[in-house]
Amino acid sequence: MRWLRRIANRLRGVFHRKAAELELDQELTFHLERQIAENIAAGMPAEAARRAALLDFGGVEQCKEECREARGIERFGSLLADLRYALRTLRKSPGFTAASVLTLALGIGANTAIFSMVNALLLHPYNFRSLDTLVRVWEDRGIDEGYDARYIAPGDAEDLRSANGIFESMTTYGFQSFGMGAEKDVQPVLGCKVSANFFDVLGVVPAAGRLFTAAEEQPGSDQVAIISHGLWQRRFGGDPQLLGKNLLLNGRSYTVVGIMPKDFDYPVPVELWIPLALTPSEKADRSQLSLSALARLKTGVSASQAVAALVNFSARLQREYPNTNTGRKTTLLQLRKELYMFTLPLFSLLQIAAGFVLLLACANLANLVFARMIGRQREIAVRTTLGAGIGRLAQLFLCETMLFSLVAGVVAIAISFGSVRALRTSIPVGWTKWVPGWDGIRVDGNVLVFTILVAAAVGISLGWATMLHASRVEPNKTLKETGMGSLTPARRRLRSALVVAQVIFALVLMVCAGLTIQGFVRLASVYQGFEPASVLREEISLPEKAYGEKVKVQNFYQQLLRGAAAMPGVESASLVSNSPASNVDNETTYFTIEGKTALKASEVPSADLQIASPGFFDTLKISLVSGRTFSEADGPEAPRVALISDGMATRFWPKGDALGHRIKLGTRDSPEVWLTIVGVVGDVRQNWWNPLTRPVIYQPFGQSPQRSMTMLVRTTTLPASYVAGLRQISRQLDAGAVLQEINTLEQEIADSIAIVRIMGILMGVFGMVALTLSSIGVYGVLSESVAQRTHEIGIRLALGANPRDLMKLILWQALKLTGIGLAIALPISAAVARGMAGLVFGVVSVDFAVLGAFTLLLLVVALLAGYLPARRAVRVDPMISLRYE
Amino acid sequence: MTKPTDLVQGTLDLLILKTIALEAMHGWAIAQRIRQVSKEVLQVNQGALYPALHRLEQQGWITAEWGESENNRRAKYYSLTKSGKRYLQSEQANWERLSAAIGLVLKTA
Repeated sequence: MRWLRRIANRLRGVFHRKAAELELDQELTFHLERQIAENIAAGMPAEAARRAALLDFGGVEQCKEECREARGIERFGSLLADLRYALRTLRKSPGFTAASVLTLALGIGANTAIFSMVNALLLHPYNFRSLDTLVRVWEDRGIDEGYDARYIAPGDAEDLRSANGIFESMTTYGFQSFGMGAEKDVQPVLGCKVSANFFDVLGVVPAAGRLFTAAEEQPGSDQVAIISHGLWQRRFGGDPQLLGKNLLLNGRSYTVVGIMPKDFDYPVPVELWIPLALTPSEKADRSQLSLSALARLKTGVSASQAVAALVNFSARLQREYPNTNTGRKTTLLQLRKELYMFTLPLFSLLQIAAGFVLLLACANLANLVFARMIGRQREIAVRTTLGAGIGRLAQLFLCETMLFSLVAGVVAIAISFGSVRALRTSIPVGWTKWVPGWDGIRVDGNVLVFTILVAAAVGISLGWATMLHASRVEPNKTLKETGMGSLTPARRRLRSALVVAQVIFALVLMVCAGLTIQGFVRLASVYQGFEPASVLREEISLPEKAYGEKVKVQNFYQQLLRGAAAMPGVESASLVSNSPASNVDNETTYFTIEGKTALKASEVPSADLQIASPGFFDTLKISLVSGRTFSEADGPEAPRVALISDGMATRFWPKGDALGHRIKLGTRDSPEVWLTIVGVVGDVRQNWWNPLTRPVIYQPFGQSPQRSMTMLVRTTTLPASYVAGLRQISRQLDAGAVLQEINTLEQEIADSIAIVRIMGILMGVFGMVALTLSSIGVYGVLSESVAQRTHEIGIRLALGANPRDLMKLILWQALKLTGIGLAIALPISAAVARGMAGLVFGVVSVDFAVLGAFTLLLLVVALLAGYLPARRAVRVDPMISLRYE
Repeated sequence: MTKPTDLVQGTLDLLILKTIALEAMHGWAIAQRIRQVSKEVLQVNQGALYPALHRLEQQGWITAEWGESENNRRAKYYSLTKSGKRYLQSEQANWERLSAAIGLVLKTA
């Protein structure tokens, strides 16, 4: 029953507040009156009796407050009162409120925006069965083969699948692009050829239909396809009757047997899966690393145990197949690590930077709040005297700081809807399609909860800091003082510490920003060896069925080039198999040098393979180092020739005598013909992640035509105006040809480094915000300390002090604070920069120019922030400043 | 005049409960009674008395009723509840055991 009464009491306190107050008042009044009566009875005069009773009682208000607290009825009531009061105070100082809400909204908004990306990309759910036991398996030849060359030879994969005791299951796959559709409407689709157990290993089931059967792995019975949810919606309008219907892929008919669920996107950006049907000889091949492999570890086997077991496996293969497998090491990486390899460092960095911005904003706001506190010392003193305990004061300040941090959170959320969309669409699809989860970047429930939590954390810590600050107020001293309050040394130290912290955050952020922007600039100029300006590129791919014979392919492209070259304003038109900045690695091939065949198969060097038409080097203005480039005479009947890149020439013929030597694609036993090197051309960077001097072999299009080529057209006027014309020419030649979007090469380059550009922009914005906030912080603290000392300065001036010396004094204070901050920040920045070099492409380690420049910039800003208040103080007439109080 | 002995933390509750165990009393009378019974040794500070009364009421050990005082004024009378009586008994037993123990230590040590 006790609890019932307790609740009744509490409710009474809340709802019958007035009655309860009245009763409390009556009770205490009765006590006083009774005491007075007693005193009078004891012989005191009426007035003295009253005084004695009151004195005896102590603080009536304080007693009342304690009684209210004892009943616990005040919690709720006082909270409402405090909220009302907080609202009033904030309304009364709109400048302060706007400044603090905006500062915080900026800090919180930055975190919301970045978190929406982290949420979509790093917390992107892969609905695979126990992701942690999935591993990628590949063979390492101990040679730098480009950025993500993780392949395995089919024969080795077959051995691994049947022999090992570490994998529960294993599957192989390989990418393939398709032209999908009917004769007249062919569109490009990226597909994947997969072993029948591919989806089983991942542990996913189709949303509709079935998976592949083992029988469908046989060449001839492999004409079945599974499509992605996206493709189903986009190309087939979500047709519920699609299962069992036929698709035309590269001119071949495939039956749709399954549709994957919406969230399945492995490997990105594949939208179509067909069975990987290898002939027995293809299956046994060990010469080429041509497949990707994925495996599931047996339960209880750790990744490191598996790696150890693979060492024995590779050793056995090396012994059994010394020709092909010497030096080849089978290795693996957890799939989770590979999936997040690109996004994790990038977005962790951004999130940390955003966190720094928020810390800076908080430091600034703390400064604002503390400055305001000085004006409120009297209010706090009065409250304390009237019986407000520390808890009660804390509640008041918490109400205030929570109020504006939550308002800031709401503002941040309102802005983030727009800014997040802008972030998502600022990077072209050509790039983001490779980033799983990119489309999912938006303000969802997680992001909202995150923002509110951040805002609440900010509000609580600011309120707490304010309370600590206020608890040092001594009511006796403060109430006796006249005029404005002053800074105690302890509090001045606290605020100076805040400025130092701001300088630290600012420098670290600015260095990060500087390095990222520098990295971006470096990447933007990374495409060397050719001139991308005024060049259009168009990717074309011809259907296999209609273009089975090489002559037909030759004819199509010859007519296409002729048509393009005939357009007015076209300087040259040419073909290449993979244009620079395509975001796709070149096909790589082994090659054998005539006369050096004594090398073991495992030591056979590899190079990028490009196929180019005669005009290619002119169109891109790639330099000719020696010999000649291709000509129209290099046709099928002529002697087989090749060009090599300068980097390849210096690596394999250091004496500069590459011309005239013969090379052959593949290992020494390969049936390929010998190619005579007729020229050496300048190095071209293929993609920004490729090394510049990677060896490249060029073959003439006339001697090895290919159905998929990229046409490059150099124009004399605005390239964009040729797009429609070029498209029309190819459509007229064959409407069945698959055309990708036509774009300028410059645009393509810009797109390919868009992610780094966005990072640069974001970090740049963070850096600017950091600089602004910290200069405001330095300025605020200095101008206030100068205002405090106006009186002192006046006296000094009146006594004949030199204004210049006074100025120096104040500037010295500014320099001291900034200097301390910089001294702490420099080693931190250097460490951060070193860390970033490993994480972000294009960033080179500690860059002293960047470090120095920003250090100087912060010093200048600090001097300026100190100069303005110093000048004001020194210029004031001593008479006025002496009266200043 | 020497300062009255400060009440040991928590003993005020016990004193209040014991004082109103026999009859309902208002705050002033409780303070007076404690002083008289303790032969002026225990001075109950009003600033502590009323919060304690409100707290005990909130906890349900005592209950309050408005009544007529000895000088015909409206006063708030506090009395023990049933659970308050039980609580007093157990607290009193505790206290006696504790003070006896302390006394033993002081005498022998």
